[in-house]
Amino acid sequence: MKSKSLAKWLISGPPLLYLLLFFAIPSLIMAFAAFRFPGDYGGLMPLTTANPDTGATELLINFGNWRDFLTLENFQRFFDEPIYFELFVKSFWYAGLTTVICIVLAYPLAWLIARSPRKTRDLLVLLVILPFWSNFLIRVYAWMIILGPQSYFSRALNSVLAVFGVEPVSLLFSQFAVIVGLVYVHLPFMVLPLYANLEKHDMALLDAAQDLGANAWQRFWKVTWPLSLPGVWAGTALVFIPALGMFAIPDLLGGTNSMMIGNLIKQQYLDSRDWPFGSVLSIMLTFTVLLLAALAAWAGSRGKDKR
Amino acid sequence: MKKLLLALSLFAGLAQAEDVLHVYNWNNYIAPETVKRFEKECKCRVVQDYYGAMEEMLAKMSAGAKGYDIVVPTGFAIPPLVKQGMVSPLDKSKLPNFKNVNPSFLNTQFDKGNQYSVPYAFTTTLVGYNDKKIKELGLDTSSWAIIFDPKILTKIKGKVTVLDDSRELFAAALMYNGYSANSTNPAEWKKAAETIKQAKPYWAAFNTQSYIKELTVGNIWVAHGYSNDMFQANQDAKAAKRPFGIAYGLQKEGNTLSLDNMMVLKGAPRPDLAHRFINFMLDGKNSSELTNMIGSGNPNSAAAQFVQPDIKKISAVFPDAQAMKKLQQLNALEGKQLRDLNRLWTEVKTAK
Repeated sequence: MKSKSLAKWLISGPPLLYLLLFFAIPSLIMAFAAFRFPGDYGGLMPLTTANPDTGATELLINFGNWRDFLTLENFQRFFDEPIYFELFVKSFWYAGLTTVICIVLAYPLAWLIARSPRKTRDLLVLLVILPFWSNFLIRVYAWMIILGPQSYFSRALNSVLAVFGVEPVSLLFSQFAVIVGLVYVHLPFMVLPLYANLEKHDMALLDAAQDLGANAWQRFWKVTWPLSLPGVWAGTALVFIPALGMFAIPDLLGGTNSMMIGNLIKQQYLDSRDWPFGSVLSIMLTFTVLLLAALAAWAGSRGKDKR
Repeated sequence: MKKLLLALSLFAGLAQAEDVLHVYNWNNYIAPETVKRFEKECKCRVVQDYYGAMEEMLAKMSAGAKGYDIVVPTGFAIPPLVKQGMVSPLDKSKLPNFKNVNPSFLNTQFDKGNQYSVPYAFTTTLVGYNDKKIKELGLDTSSWAIIFDPKILTKIKGKVTVLDDSRELFAAALMYNGYSANSTNPAEWKKAAETIKQAKPYWAAFNTQSYIKELTVGNIWVAHGYSNDMFQANQDAKAAKRPFGIAYGLQKEGNTLSLDNMMVLKGAPRPDLAHRFINFMLDGKNSSELTNMIGSGNPNSAAAQFVQPDIKKISAVFPDAQAMKKLQQLNALEGKQLRDLNRLWTEVKTAK
């Protein structure tokens, strides 16, 4: 018995330690940073100093003066100005739209792959993964060329539009380009969990539904869709959360009005060197995502009770 | 036998490795032939390491990076290095070529009397443009109005990018409104923010990363950016045989100047070689080679005669005395000022 639990710890220990070291501790440091003041040269205002005589490290903060080192100002700033909240709403809208488009595009594809003969299936899965072989930024740069006004794609589109008397459109540096980029980058993360789920479905169920008089739509909506929900949820989590924090795509493809919350966080850490406020934004983002996940789980469990 | 030879050559390599100078510099900021000539002259080896941003360099230095002899920071990064005791004063007696430096670039607010730093090269932040398109449209690029005045911008809507950099963009907007680029007056900042908000709907993007390419391809006709980048965009356009070139010039309201300086680090393994290197780089011909390579501004009066004529006439490379008066180096903002600007920047970037 004892050796069994020891083995359990030996196996789960390293990943647990890894998460503790590289996720939990940095998160705590960040949470603490949110209550501190920024330093003069960026970063954080130091809590310790090196004694000029002895060279020993001395703590500056104590019970009497902690107000000079810790503050709620950073949170206050977040709640004082509506622009931050609006940016949150906008980012959730972008990420949500990306997720919905990914589901709509990925579902038929995943279905097709799951129903292909085994040999083709492996090849198709490989093709879905293939884009990962080249760097993500290079692929986004490729989209800059595709969407640029000089590209064949843009010119063809605009000459078609001209036939209908529509003003030429500029695709690059727009919200449209950002959504295209987000969908493109995240699509495989929706296809793969959906495929893994759909592949396991028992075809006999669909035959049975058909025998009982269900038409094609009913077979999908009453049988396949409910069974595939775990795959849809997995894909949603894999697409929605990274899309929400994305900053590279709005930076490269977006125009003057396509900033997302990720860009604001990056701006705090790099350009403005305001780590405490960047930490506040990160915490609020994490908190909102957790809240949403909890709400979804709660709604899910209620739905089950009803049935 | 072979092994012995190998050991011998290794030993020779080690013996040679005695004289090494470690330079920590901006990426692509020294001509390879200059380095080679210095190596020959000093019979030493130059090892280079690069950074892409001041933040990166300062962060590495603060983290206690050791072993570098020379670092080449932009003006506003000098005080943090000096205050944190990371650099040592220069021995001017070892720098006879110091006299070559144009006095307009000496004695700046960042290092009074140039105790620690010697000007190396500079860039100016200005407007670069597609010469053919701008001529066709008959627009005037000698004023910041080209990127801020809605009346002019209607003609080039969606064909303009500005730097995604709060300091640089606010500096341009401040100068356009007739204020100092280094103003910290809240009312003036507010006015500048209004200027930016009004112009924003006409811009294609805030872009620091790809405007060189966008200019070269012809997607963008006007870009707010750095003089070196405009030089490169023009070279690229020429190489691609485009029917247009990328021209650039200073704005009459003034421009920001980023002056990069050579400094010797405290605890440098070879301060002697470091001084020798600085003196070497202050030689007119050696200094001119960087300008000929990347079109950088040159603070060295002795370099002018070695610079290619077509580069020499660009006012952003060798500004005349008149233009010189209107170039301003940006201060480092600290504490509350930085936070206030940051707040305004978020506001203009998210404004509809």
